[in-house]
Amino acid sequence: MKKALETEVAVIGGGVTGTGILRDLALRGIKAVLVEQGDLGHGTSTRNHGLLHSGCRYAVRDPEAAVESYQENLILKRTIPGSIEQTGGLFVKVPGDDDAYVRRWLDSCGKLGIPVGEIPLEQAFREEPYLTKEAQAVYQVPDGTIDDFTLLIDVAADAVAHGAALLTYHEVTGIMTEQNHVSGIHVRDTRNGEEQDIYAPIVINAAGPWGMNIAKMAGVPLRIINNKGMLVVFSHRFNKRVINRLRMPGDGDIFVPAHDVTIFGTTGKNTDDPNDFSLNREEMEQMLTTGADLIPEIHQMRLIRAYSGSRPLYQKTAGKGSSGRDVTRGMALLDHGERDGLDGLITITGGKLTTFRLMAERTVDLVCKKLGSDAQCTTREAALPSRKSTDSFSGANLAPAARHKLMNWAGVRTPEFETSLKDREAANVVCECEQVTWAEIDAAIPGDGHLDLGDIRRRTRLGMGPCQGTFCNFRTAALAVEHGKAGTREADCALMRGVKERRKGMGVVATGETAKQLQLMQTIYQVSLGFGNEEEKQHV
Amino acid sequence: MNDALLDLNMFEDSYEKCLKCNACVASCPVTGATLDFGGPKHMGPELKRLIDNQQVIDDKRIEYCTLCGNCDLSCPEDVHISTLTTYAKAIHTEKHGSSFRDFVLSNAELVGKMASAFAPVTNTAMKMKPMRQVMETVMRIPKERKFPKYKFKNFNRSFANKVHGSKRKVAYFVGCYAMYNAPEVAESFVKVMNFNGIEVVKPRQKCCGVPMLANGRLKQARKNAAFNIDSLLEYTRKGYDVVTTCTSCGLALKKEYLSIDGSDKAKELAAHVYDADEYLRMLKDNGELNTHLAPMKQKVGYHAPCHMRAQGMGTPAMDILELIPGFNIYDLGAGCCGQCGTFGFKKEKYGISMKLGRTMAESVKNLDADYTVTECGMCKNQLDQLTDKEVRHPMQILAESYERAKQLQTV
Repeated sequence: MKKALETEVAVIGGGVTGTGILRDLALRGIKAVLVEQGDLGHGTSTRNHGLLHSGCRYAVRDPEAAVESYQENLILKRTIPGSIEQTGGLFVKVPGDDDAYVRRWLDSCGKLGIPVGEIPLEQAFREEPYLTKEAQAVYQVPDGTIDDFTLLIDVAADAVAHGAALLTYHEVTGIMTEQNHVSGIHVRDTRNGEEQDIYAPIVINAAGPWGMNIAKMAGVPLRIINNKGMLVVFSHRFNKRVINRLRMPGDGDIFVPAHDVTIFGTTGKNTDDPNDFSLNREEMEQMLTTGADLIPEIHQMRLIRAYSGSRPLYQKTAGKGSSGRDVTRGMALLDHGERDGLDGLITITGGKLTTFRLMAERTVDLVCKKLGSDAQCTTREAALPSRKSTDSFSGANLAPAARHKLMNWAGVRTPEFETSLKDREAANVVCECEQVTWAEIDAAIPGDGHLDLGDIRRRTRLGMGPCQGTFCNFRTAALAVEHGKAGTREADCALMRGVKERRKGMGVVATGETAKQLQLMQTIYQVSLGFGNEEEKQHV
Repeated sequence: MNDALLDLNMFEDSYEKCLKCNACVASCPVTGATLDFGGPKHMGPELKRLIDNQQVIDDKRIEYCTLCGNCDLSCPEDVHISTLTTYAKAIHTEKHGSSFRDFVLSNAELVGKMASAFAPVTNTAMKMKPMRQVMETVMRIPKERKFPKYKFKNFNRSFANKVHGSKRKVAYFVGCYAMYNAPEVAESFVKVMNFNGIEVVKPRQKCCGVPMLANGRLKQARKNAAFNIDSLLEYTRKGYDVVTTCTSCGLALKKEYLSIDGSDKAKELAAHVYDADEYLRMLKDNGELNTHLAPMKQKVGYHAPCHMRAQGMGTPAMDILELIPGFNIYDLGAGCCGQCGTFGFKKEKYGISMKLGRTMAESVKNLDADYTVTECGMCKNQLDQLTDKEVRHPMQILAESYERAKQLQTV
């Protein structure tokens, strides 16, 4: 018999928007189920800069988005401390950039109330030694960084703790309607093919770039521009703060420090296919050339991978000619009952990572209106626990670097890791680049028998460093089998998937050291371990 | 951290090339003996990546790095691993200061001056059990550890520059060991040079700085480097070649100064520096070597010091000694001796030092040669501790062969 589930709200899409909505619903006591086709953050939410905007970037072109960003910046710093690093940011004017823009920018930031302060060049050069010495003016802004991986996991965990349900690796196969009202969704488990019906009077389409597919299933018109941006990851974190270029927003003008790497981007090219994560070498080289204006050494620095994701931009009258940069970064909340006569279906799209909470608040406000509930939003104040631990894991035999990582990572799980790390083997570092211990990996493997190195990576940073899992992916798969967490066949499949995924991101940047790294990885897996043939078979 | 250190640390970007292949880990003698050291990959390039322009992570385990340089030799990507561990040591010492013992051990020159001034007393005292017990308790220097003897008539006292205008001229970088502990090595070197018609001068010099680097005292090492560079350049610019009989000094002048000083002057100097055997081999290749060597029917085991291997010049000592007729020299092939400069004088490292030395001791025992030859005074110290064979420097053997040949001629 087909499984069925009944709830008040079905949320489609496990990105930050959907996950934020799930938490908001749960905190307001509304029953909800979230459905995500892959792992949390399968799409755009883990394919971005991880920048906590201060709003400055949009101050001139899009003041509304700028103000929203700044307000949310302040709220998130308070309420999601575990996923935000208050690095601060710099806006740097380099020769050739428009002086008039600087004046307009300063003026606009002032009007919008975003604190901006000029800092002496010598100070900037001292604090950011890789910054171009050609810089003409440097301004300090309250930018920060967001770890979207921890953000998604922590927000989802809080939602679940408050009674919400989460179904990852489930895709929506249809929208159920009764007359002019939605009544639920059909879903399918992508891993075992099992189907399920989720009955819900309200369905929220938070599917980001896949939003149009959902709208199509429901038979409502929706036009979203999927604006694909490419980003690259440098092998080490060379800047302390976010470094922005002080000019009209364009390609390749933001450097964001993220844990032990720096992320640089981005580009913007419209694409029709939400599953288009393709990477283009030429596009990347153009971006790097631009980036060299801010960080001259950029071409000598080692790149470890590239990735891309699409911004789902909503335009009421979407002309085909739009390049994407001129479309508002503001959010779009669509009540398809009012708009298209299909009551109960809501689409939330557009917006920014920085404004995800506000998007959730507004969406759930609309849900409450529809459900006749007067529950108030509490996410402005209700804080998630920090990821820092004051405890130093002194009982564990840990390298200082691994301890340093855990102290900025473990958070509420500190007692759990304190215990597990007492086992000397659990304290062994499996991923050396990112200093991930077996204890962390072990805790990230779900009990349901599914082993996915990508899922583990998003929860631990496994394989995110310069070697891109050359060694640790294999170690993890082997240890999982040894500890009875997976069967041999399953571990093999997980390993092949994991290595293939890492290779894709490395391929496009593969010159110099990364080309060698890739070769080493391929040699280890295909020659030494003999994985090549099996993989080919799988692809047939 | 002081600015100079920060700049140097910034300047070193070879860590970006690390492929995590573990060749350095596999070749690290200390890692082979204990898991208490994090290994060269982690302590070098891996840590550097995590702290470059970021919060410093101090890892006490860096004390286990002996700066032997085997990691550098093994790296297929030419990551300057031992330079990175040198900085990690400096960071650690900067954060925690150095103990009195490490201060003393790293001041080979000062200790040499004082100890040789009271040489008979020093040597006797170092053999007295109560004295050694006190040293072990207070300074954590193991009482079982033998120390090199100090000579009252050190090389400074015995040698005077004599200039008579030979074609090739050598500025001899003596080093603390040949200066205070083994003046016979320095004297043998001068004889060997004289047998080749090459005049030798001794420029003003300070300790090369290697013991300081090993103990994280980078600032002091940089001062010494700057002094030595200036002093030696005065000679190289007048056509002198700089030659060392100590392989650690040689490594410092050739390689370490390039990273810890990094100036154009350091580069200029490095191009003129030779290990003594390497110098003789070069003379031979140019047809300039005096090959009137008397036969010596001996069976000898050669121990290659790590800092000799780190210079990437093959085994010039064997190449040269093989020219002596009847001389049978065998490479002991035993890797690191485990003394590792000041490392083996430390109580908490003594066990590892002994463990490392075991292979060498066994190799010496199995070969059962007439004696052992090695360039390094510290390797000699470990050989003296662990084997009952006499240990000689290649220059002593060569000098003897030349002298015998001269006697044979005159007879």
